[in-house]
Amino acid sequence: MPADQPNSVDAEHEYPPELSRLPPGRHGLPREFVVHNQRERLIAGLAEAIAENGYASTTIAHITRHAAVSRRTFYEHFNSKDECFVAAYDTVMAELSERIENAFQQESDWPQAVRAGLAAMLEFLAAEPNLARLCMVESLVAGPVVVERYDAAIQGLVPYLEAGREGRSEEVLSRLSPTTEEALVGGMVSLISRRIIAGQAAELGELLPDLVEFALTPYIGSDEASKVARA
Amino acid sequence: MRPPPGRQQLSREFIARHQRARIIAALAEETVSRGYRAVTVADIVSRAGIARNTFYENFSSKEDCFLAAQDYAVEEALRRVVEAASAVESWPARVDAGLAAFLGYVAEEPALARTCIVEALSAGPDSLARYEQSLQAFGPLFRIGRKVSPHGEELPATLEETVIGGIFWVIYQRIIQGDTERIEELRPDLVEFALTPYIGADAAKRALAE
Repeated sequence: MPADQPNSVDAEHEYPPELSRLPPGRHGLPREFVVHNQRERLIAGLAEAIAENGYASTTIAHITRHAAVSRRTFYEHFNSKDECFVAAYDTVMAELSERIENAFQQESDWPQAVRAGLAAMLEFLAAEPNLARLCMVESLVAGPVVVERYDAAIQGLVPYLEAGREGRSEEVLSRLSPTTEEALVGGMVSLISRRIIAGQAAELGELLPDLVEFALTPYIGSDEASKVARA
Repeated sequence: MRPPPGRQQLSREFIARHQRARIIAALAEETVSRGYRAVTVADIVSRAGIARNTFYENFSSKEDCFLAAQDYAVEEALRRVVEAASAVESWPARVDAGLAAFLGYVAEEPALARTCIVEALSAGPDSLARYEQSLQAFGPLFRIGRKVSPHGEELPATLEETVIGGIFWVIYQRIIQGDTERIEELRPDLVEFALTPYIGADAAKRALAE
């Protein structure tokens, strides 16, 4: 067992299942699992510390306290707070992207697929307000490396909407511009970020009909979009 | 009857306003060349060619100056947009004129635009919140569209927020790609993007053609 086994676990907090803590005491788990789990625990600890203090004021002591691991363990995984943040950001964004992708792919009808993808995104962010804040708000203030990744992640949503051009009439296509998808994605993300900044992450699910209607209107018209949105 | 303002009083007010604008311009230039984090009050003071005291007479800190720059730019942008939009009659024409004025301002003041549209997002939680807040100052211009929309209040309650957010995102992308010079070319795309949810894509296209 590693020497830095945590000696106290704070049971007050709730954790997402994939970022959960190890149970206290001797567990006889393989070292690789423990290491992996420590990393996830540090990431969850970072998210909590940031939610409490904001990124700039968060210290490594805050992170290790929330993660209930030693300072040494922190430095076995990361060289700095920034590095821990980048790992946290990548982990959360990968999870979010995977959920969107899975939900989108499960529907064969494009408008329904957009609705499902958006629902998955809002559901994840609403269920994990700390992680929502980490990846959608604090990522912007965490330095240029993360900002670049954030921009790329948002632009990565563009193809889901571009898929809506397929099979549309010439008439519809002629009305779309090269920036249509970029503007739609940016508009949705901006609204979501505003709600998170306002401390309303938990209510993000309520935005689903508005966002679905907004995203679909240029492709299928506002009447049809409104039907899908309010179904 | 109030006495006419003295010459000295007038000129002092003029100097004060001018000084603030000059400090804000210096902050924007330094931010673009160094990145906001690296900028110091000394950099701003030296670029503006003023005394350190003068800076602190106007602002309490670099952060304070940055927030003031954001307010200044939004106020000026809004003034230009409202002025341009008021000069024409129909709502689609107003959106078109307003966006043209806005993009013109961005093209005319690339340093200030980069500071307030790109750097403001990463400068810290306060300026990010201020940025998100100030975008909504443009809400009323779009909200009028509900009056000419066949859907009116049935439109999503958040429509103005998403329309404005989308416009700013596209502009943001162009600025970080270093494409400020051609920013005004975005005008037809963005006008169409803004009009479509309100009056439909066909009417938006027709309005643009006029």
